[in-house]
Amino acid sequence: MTTHPTPGPTLDFSSERGEKPAPERADLLGGAGPSEFGSFDAHHPPAQELLDDCVHCGFCLPTCPTYALWGEEMDSPRGRIYLMEMAEKGEIPLEGSFTTHIDRCLGCMACVTACPSGVQYDRLLEATRPQIERNVPRSRSDRWFREAIFALFPYKRRLRAASLGGALYQRLRPKSMDKLLARVPERFGRLVAMESLLPPVSVRDAFRRMPERTPGIGPRRGRVGLLTGCVQDVFFHPVNEATARVLAAEGWDVIAPREQACCGALGLHAGREAEAIERAKKLIAVFERAQVDTIATNVAGCGSSMKEYGELLADDPEWAERAAAFAAKVRDISEVVDETLADARARRHPIEARVVYHDACHLGHAQKIRSEPRRVLRAIPGVELLELPEAEICCGSAGIYNMLQPQAASDLGHRKAGNIRGTGADLLVTANPGCLLQIRKYLGADLPMLHPIQLVDASIRGVRPPEMG
Amino acid sequence: MPERTMEAPHGGTGNDAPGAATPPVAVGPELARAFRDVLPADLVITDEVGRRSYECDGLTGFRQIPALVVLPRDADEVAACVRVCARHGVPFVARGAGTGLSGGAMPVADGVVISLQKLRRILEIDVENRRAVLEPGVYNLEISKAAAPYGLYYAPDPSSQQVCTIGGNVAENSGGAHCLKYGFTTNHVLEMEVVLADGSVVTLGGPTGEQAGPDLRGLFIGSEGTLGICTKVTVRLLQTPETVRTVLADFPSIEAAGDTVGDIVDAAIIPAAVEMMDSLSMEASEAATGAGLTVDAPAALIIELDGPADEVEAEFSHLTAICERHGATRMHVPAEAEERQKVWKGRKAAFAAVGRISPDYIVQDGVVPRTRLAEVLTRIAEMGRDAGLRVANVFHAGDGNLHPLVLYSEAAGEHDAAEKLSTDIAELCVELGGSLSGEHGIGTDKACSMPRMFSSDDLAVMHRVRHAFDPDDRCNPGKVFPTPRLCGERPGPYRPHPLEEAGVIERL
Amino acid sequence: MTDTITPRSLDELRDAVIDRPGTIRIAGAGTAHDWAGTPEPADTVLDTTGLSGIVTHNPGDMTVEVWAGTPFGALQTDLGEHHQRVAVDPARAAEGATLGGLFATADAGPRSLQYGSLRDLVIGATIVLADGTVARSGGHVIKNVAGYDLTKLLHGAQGTLGVLARLVLRLHPTPQVTATVAASCERSAMAGLARRVADSPVEPTAVEWHAGRLLSLLEGSESGAEARARRLAEILGSDAAVLAPDDATQAWEAHAAAVRARSDDRAVFRFGVTPSELPRVLDALESATGVTASPRTGVATVALPADADVVATAHRRVAEAGGTSTLRQRPAGAALPAFGPAPASATVLRAVAASLDPDQRFGRGRLAPWLPLPDQTGQPTGVSA
Repeated sequence: MTTHPTPGPTLDFSSERGEKPAPERADLLGGAGPSEFGSFDAHHPPAQELLDDCVHCGFCLPTCPTYALWGEEMDSPRGRIYLMEMAEKGEIPLEGSFTTHIDRCLGCMACVTACPSGVQYDRLLEATRPQIERNVPRSRSDRWFREAIFALFPYKRRLRAASLGGALYQRLRPKSMDKLLARVPERFGRLVAMESLLPPVSVRDAFRRMPERTPGIGPRRGRVGLLTGCVQDVFFHPVNEATARVLAAEGWDVIAPREQACCGALGLHAGREAEAIERAKKLIAVFERAQVDTIATNVAGCGSSMKEYGELLADDPEWAERAAAFAAKVRDISEVVDETLADARARRHPIEARVVYHDACHLGHAQKIRSEPRRVLRAIPGVELLELPEAEICCGSAGIYNMLQPQAASDLGHRKAGNIRGTGADLLVTANPGCLLQIRKYLGADLPMLHPIQLVDASIRGVRPPEMG
Repeated sequence: MPERTMEAPHGGTGNDAPGAATPPVAVGPELARAFRDVLPADLVITDEVGRRSYECDGLTGFRQIPALVVLPRDADEVAACVRVCARHGVPFVARGAGTGLSGGAMPVADGVVISLQKLRRILEIDVENRRAVLEPGVYNLEISKAAAPYGLYYAPDPSSQQVCTIGGNVAENSGGAHCLKYGFTTNHVLEMEVVLADGSVVTLGGPTGEQAGPDLRGLFIGSEGTLGICTKVTVRLLQTPETVRTVLADFPSIEAAGDTVGDIVDAAIIPAAVEMMDSLSMEASEAATGAGLTVDAPAALIIELDGPADEVEAEFSHLTAICERHGATRMHVPAEAEERQKVWKGRKAAFAAVGRISPDYIVQDGVVPRTRLAEVLTRIAEMGRDAGLRVANVFHAGDGNLHPLVLYSEAAGEHDAAEKLSTDIAELCVELGGSLSGEHGIGTDKACSMPRMFSSDDLAVMHRVRHAFDPDDRCNPGKVFPTPRLCGERPGPYRPHPLEEAGVIERL
Repeated sequence: MTDTITPRSLDELRDAVIDRPGTIRIAGAGTAHDWAGTPEPADTVLDTTGLSGIVTHNPGDMTVEVWAGTPFGALQTDLGEHHQRVAVDPARAAEGATLGGLFATADAGPRSLQYGSLRDLVIGATIVLADGTVARSGGHVIKNVAGYDLTKLLHGAQGTLGVLARLVLRLHPTPQVTATVAASCERSAMAGLARRVADSPVEPTAVEWHAGRLLSLLEGSESGAEARARRLAEILGSDAAVLAPDDATQAWEAHAAAVRARSDDRAVFRFGVTPSELPRVLDALESATGVTASPRTGVATVALPADADVVATAHRRVAEAGGTSTLRQRPAGAALPAFGPAPASATVLRAVAASLDPDQRFGRGRLAPWLPLPDQTGQPTGVSA
């Protein structure tokens, strides 16, 4: 016997909690009444079939970072799917609580890994976020802050300028600044978060450019196009250099087109669909001209969004096929190197180190790439690979999340740092610049941190890995 | 068997049942304010979206929006919340991870949900005494993870162990695949701190199995949240066995697999676990986990032995010989722990994975005496055919605990037929001398079937005990016992247990 | 004038409870008549030994339903023919104790380390309440969570709350072989030695200290159990040896005899504390003799002088260590405290007792003072309706 939801008591707590009452549904939908898609608009709302896949079993709960922090149903994958369903039925508006809980999702996709029913939460979230961006007016300060992020991060030139200021600032930054910032009112928390995420970068690294072509050594395996990335190229330029060197050493010609720009991952994961689509088209065109066999990236977030270009552009007859072809060529650097391990050309020199590998969510959960980087690291003689407790839980970086939700990000950062310290490792490696920035913030100078490819590069070249002194 | 002529002091199925009698209570800003006096404001959830998120547990067919949800952070705050409920005469439901499959954590109308998800600390791992002290929100699997460095583990392992909490396990007396050898939650919980309906705090049980006075701990475990809220649990930890050997064996028929189990028992082998899956459930699970199940085999057994190395090796070869004798078509023996985990994942993810092969399904949970497994499976298959519905079977074969999964399509209008088939299966289990539930509990889902298994006197006595703990029906009212509200005025009649009819039963 | 009645069926049992007004003392074989609280004189003694025998035994299901008045030893003998057993071994079974009596007194023996007590093996029961209600809980299957586990309430109820008519138990296969390793060991060293046994992979069924020796019981297959015993003896070193079968039987019989020993001037005191507390608590009970102790479960049985102060102090000492204690035997006429300080949960116990047996017809006095005697000014009202 099944009962249908019994209406609960009619209560009005809104004035109590100082919350703005949600607008009447009719207002929200322009007076048209609940549409076929409930509170969503008609442009790709979360698909009913995908929502139906969730059987409410709760297996996702323990791996969800916000559920780990707060234990509230609304801030769990199961809860968010439930909210999407209610919105889809038109039972709740998008504005207000719905947006709050969807905004709080890190998009780490740990739930996708954990789900036995095969719920595609990634697709649900990517369908929901643009709905919010389109239909929910944000407060002025929120709007301003988001615009600021997207006006800065995807642009290498602007990032370089910022890094220049940052480098200067970091050098001149008075010690008293920490105390000062600690007293900043909470509403400026986001700015403080942004400040502290600025990585220590040398002006030289920030302005270095990748050579357009790095020839492979020995018999050629093929042509690899390298996504140099925006944040990666400015703040982690040495990672790109190491990537090119390792690929070349293994016999790949490495093509790094000058005109490439941001892949759109940050925007895509934040629901800025239109912007992401434009960036995707530009990048596809650039790599088509480069005529490469494989498109490699050393950034987990970029790889995950580029692999989804096919779906992103599926509606556009001019681009759909080209996007799918592009996506099919995309590989994470660890996949590329892993494939060559059986027939490795470059000798690995030993590096004696206890290494802990942190799975970037966009690599482990979104792309299901877990064993490849581990195999690549284990192929280095002397490396002892350690596993991290709570490995499936996000470090709190999550694209721009640590800037938008600084408190949650900070709690997760501390939690991750604690787990990392507990392993007693000499070195942390992870394949995403966002994770590196976030973890560095909470781990401080306790432990050297590298991208795995830098360790491989050091091993091939027979040098001490950078930062390990 | 005497006729039941005694007038029960409380008609367990009568009008005085909870739910019907609970008068409407005033909830609203005043109640919220009272909770905010004992909790930070953001831990008192009043908005509709938040409250609706708690309207059901793992069984979504039953929904009820609570008046409020509160998230206390420690035992004192739980007690304070219960006292607020007592003061305002409001019923409450304690909720762990909300993974229950019987609607046991479904909120009560006009009631409060007390979430225990902020009480997640492992308070102590006592290696010398082999026990762990836990807050109720600790995930079952976390206990074993925390104990592992000391060579210890916590034995009960429900399929949802990665997410279900020890508090929920206490409420449901959870079992798991390994309870055949090791027993259930009730055999592993030594001591509990419990908040009673009036907000007072008592300790049930003690530091050893030694008891002074009646076993109140045993009564509380499995009472589905109707006697109070446990806020601290002390469990026994066991030594990790020296050896674990697992075989995944495919069989040409369900009967062959069933006979294998019988022979294993007859050989005086007590496996740590004996699980059976049919081809439908394997198909689903394999799609979800890639565990290495043979999807076109009619049946498979996962059999695990554990213990001292020599003994296990000897029993294991005996065991595989029994499998071979019954025509096992493939035997996969995972070599490493990792591979073994994979096989287990294939088994444990089966319920949720069935979502991949059917738009909708109902997970049933019934028990028959192990020797009647073949009979019940045949009957289930017939009933499924009659209803025009597919039934997948995953079960703990060693102890006769079945989990038939009734597959249906809501869109195709099969819901009511599926509900009926599922209920009929549970009641069939009772008819065959078994039970309505082996581990998922009665909750809301099966309350109306209780009169099939228990007489009104039996239920009335349970009710008397419940009222001794909770005279005003404030702890999770409306669960376990049939109520007119849920079941209509006349829930199904009690059918005398076959044993009672005959005095003695012929089973073999 | 006390009247004894011996019902021979469930009907007769129920009728006896309804027809006899006043208080009832439930008696089985009488092996624990002097345990727990001193019973008040009762109007009727309800002798359960007429309710005897196996109701149904399904070897394939490894379950058995038994009348509560069945002598435990006879039950084990019957089950043994099918190579099955109830995996508990209380010492007083040898004196003819009934299953119901063992259950009501929560008695258990050395094998509780592995199997727990009867509460861990019972899967269903039929009970008769003071108002004549016949109630069933649990069932005939090992795995069952339908309804309250009311049966547990009668475990350790010492003949209060209700009368057990029938019990359903889960069974275990009888091991092919049992082997015993004995290691000489002072009481002060037993905890450390027992820890070594526990940390070894031999999985003992019982570990008991008695009379200067730590006995470890290994059960299992023919080759397995003996091999494990040898392995354990090796691990424990030169002071340990595998006992010859006769010596082993003798050692365990001596242990059981010590547990059930009666004397005219001493009381038997049983308690459980966390294993790490056990040595300290034993040391504190200075006048204790006849000690048997289970260093891995934390349970011990000792004899104390039959002196109210000594016994009260012992209860208090156990309670301070967080444990539980019960007086098991008291010399005739001795007024000794049966229990330690009442825990907070005694309020629940009283409420449960009031709901099941509001007039305290059954076993009045056995759980005193946790369950205080009813107001003496009014006569008990007999059957409540």
